[in-house]
Amino acid sequence: MAKLLVDNDKYAEPNASVVVDAYHAAIQDLIRRKLDTVGGDWASFVFDKSYDLVTAADFAAIEKKLLATGHRFDWSAMISVRERPEAYKPAAGVGDDLATFSFEHPEAVIAPADENNREQRGIGDNVVKYANNLIGIARYIRSSDRVLELLTSGVPENTVAVIDDSGGTLTAPILEQFKGVICAGGTVRSHLGILTREYGIPCVMNAKISGIREGDRVEIECTAPAKTAEAYQTGVEMTAKVWRLAK
Amino acid sequence: MGSSRITYSQLLETNNLIQANADETYWLCVTRTVQESKLFPVPAYMMLSYMMAYYRYPSLLRKIEQRMSAEEIGDRARNAGIKIQNPSMGWALPGFYLLGREWLISLGLIRPQDALDDLVYLMDFWKRFQLSWHRNNGHITNKEFGHRGQFLPERTVQVFHADMYDCKAGDDLHEAAQAFMAAASQYGFLISCESRISLHNSGPYKIAEDREMIVRDFMDLSESDFPWLDGVAADVPYNNITVTMAVKDCHFYLVDDWGSFESKPEFTADKLVGVGLYTSDTLSDGYLPVAMGSREELTACFKTLTEKVKDATNKLWRRLAGWSRDQMIDAGAITYFSIVKDLAHVAGVYEVDDWMMVDERAERFRPLFNDEYSRDALVALCIGTHTSHRLSEYTMMQHSNGPQRLYSLIPYSILQGDSYTTTCGPVYPGTSCLPAKVDRYNTTRGVIGLEEYNRLAREVRPPALDPKYRHLCETWVKYHAGEPLADELYRIDQANSRLLRGKGSGLRRADVEKLRNPR
Repeated sequence: MAKLLVDNDKYAEPNASVVVDAYHAAIQDLIRRKLDTVGGDWASFVFDKSYDLVTAADFAAIEKKLLATGHRFDWSAMISVRERPEAYKPAAGVGDDLATFSFEHPEAVIAPADENNREQRGIGDNVVKYANNLIGIARYIRSSDRVLELLTSGVPENTVAVIDDSGGTLTAPILEQFKGVICAGGTVRSHLGILTREYGIPCVMNAKISGIREGDRVEIECTAPAKTAEAYQTGVEMTAKVWRLAK
Repeated sequence: MGSSRITYSQLLETNNLIQANADETYWLCVTRTVQESKLFPVPAYMMLSYMMAYYRYPSLLRKIEQRMSAEEIGDRARNAGIKIQNPSMGWALPGFYLLGREWLISLGLIRPQDALDDLVYLMDFWKRFQLSWHRNNGHITNKEFGHRGQFLPERTVQVFHADMYDCKAGDDLHEAAQAFMAAASQYGFLISCESRISLHNSGPYKIAEDREMIVRDFMDLSESDFPWLDGVAADVPYNNITVTMAVKDCHFYLVDDWGSFESKPEFTADKLVGVGLYTSDTLSDGYLPVAMGSREELTACFKTLTEKVKDATNKLWRRLAGWSRDQMIDAGAITYFSIVKDLAHVAGVYEVDDWMMVDERAERFRPLFNDEYSRDALVALCIGTHTSHRLSEYTMMQHSNGPQRLYSLIPYSILQGDSYTTTCGPVYPGTSCLPAKVDRYNTTRGVIGLEEYNRLAREVRPPALDPKYRHLCETWVKYHAGEPLADELYRIDQANSRLLRGKGSGLRRADVEKLRNPR
């Protein structure tokens, strides 16, 4: 079989991702076979014949083979799992299970209720330091269906959005109506962090929380110092607390 | 076998440019924010966009240079807040191409010495544009300047400084400007499918001992190139909006090649003490003031623009929320790939099929781009953990100290007979799942069709780039201020200025400040 330049890589190491390794091995095998069909002539293959010989159908077959092993892909965009539920791991907290759903971070810092009946349920990186802590009602927002519902019916007052999307597009039409945001991803420089700062909405990013359910009263310690670029680069912990309040 | 005649010095220089980009790409990817979205399949569209860049950029740049050189476009780019600044030119042009190349190398589908003419040409185009655009500071990138983004000449900065209105936290103008910037930032993320490439910050410029000015560009806001803005953005009156922003007691110590900034202390809205508002495009003679006649007019304009941008945001979001995954991927990939499309607008050779379509060679790869593979392959591309990145264990990469190199260098062995290929070929046909682009472009000369847009662009002769003035640079001004020719040059930028109109070239920064505050 034809040999590729990468077959003689002195410093090659496996990729940390098994999916990347599986895909790349399959693709290289595909290229060797296709190159064989033109007698191993690289110059005529690389930017000419390969355009017809290496096809979308070949790549689709590689994915099919991986799925046949039982592997299901992690999803990042809701549309992916919605269109192909058979190919992705199931999504939780976006439908009928909302009432019982909660983010459960293994590193969430929790503590028993304090003298003010505040039970610490996690920490996050404070985006902007404000004069007072923020209290509101937790509402999970994880899908465009939920955003559309709130866009139509209106965002309830005192909503503290609990989100795992650090981007600025999912909640674009309703973000300004949030009283506060707890985001279980990103950093203070993520798009959601930038936008909440511009709108003056208290927000913690990279929140590691546990046990906060839809409708819980929560308090964000947005009087804590804002996490700085230096703190991220040097690995210094600068966190704000997130509490669940007694109902 | 290649037939080009690449010299040793060309290879040395090209590899140097590749390596400089590799080092900065790693730093940007690791230290700046991660881009993610539950709405858009971001890694999938990014991977596809790199393929589009790899297969099309060299041909499209050659087409542009048949009409206008990279150096001249660089000179023109200083004159307008359009999408050929950072991050588009400072990083994305070489970055997207080289990321695509590296992924193909890691797959075994190309070798580091393939498409050599394309690669050498693209890096040379980039170098010439960047040096021209940055000629007032003498660096090739913001990174080389210590992460600083100053490129405007004094005559432009003086107009921004002079005409800016003071504001302070709690007053009407401050609130209106801040609300606009928040709404426009959010709209920018949505237009750009979660990326920040509709937004750009440059500077800082020191306008007083305790004040710095940042120039913020919000680009591609109205009906123009993106098909997904047809209709929904019809009421946004300007395609590009530039806000000049004075900040007190806050030093912007970093403005990177992605157009984002860091400051000490952290910038917060209460530090905003002055604002101005402009529009521009490839057809305007520089920056045109918007509602800058009075403070009240400016305040009202910010409020009106905010409402229009919010309305467009809601309409656009509803449109995007109904899209299929393939449509989202197309829009995101096209947004990324076309980040340098304004090069073609400036040259007057823009075509929808060139910039708003997915090249069929790139399209082949779409079945690979599920969320998990895209995420993992993209992360590996950005931090250098694909097999093609690995180097000898003795090697220590800049920043990571690991045995890695983010972009493969061209092997010098081609100079002694090793085989190589020259080009990936011309632009192939493209496809798109998105609705066809409506032939309507909102410009500073009105809403026009593309044919008219290209014709006008080819006719534009920016006065400051007239052969009489083009090379009257900052060094020349230093020794010729007050002379008639220098005054003529400054009056070009001052033509639309409220306070500096006709003042000429002799003013220093303190003189401008006195004009702003005569008492």
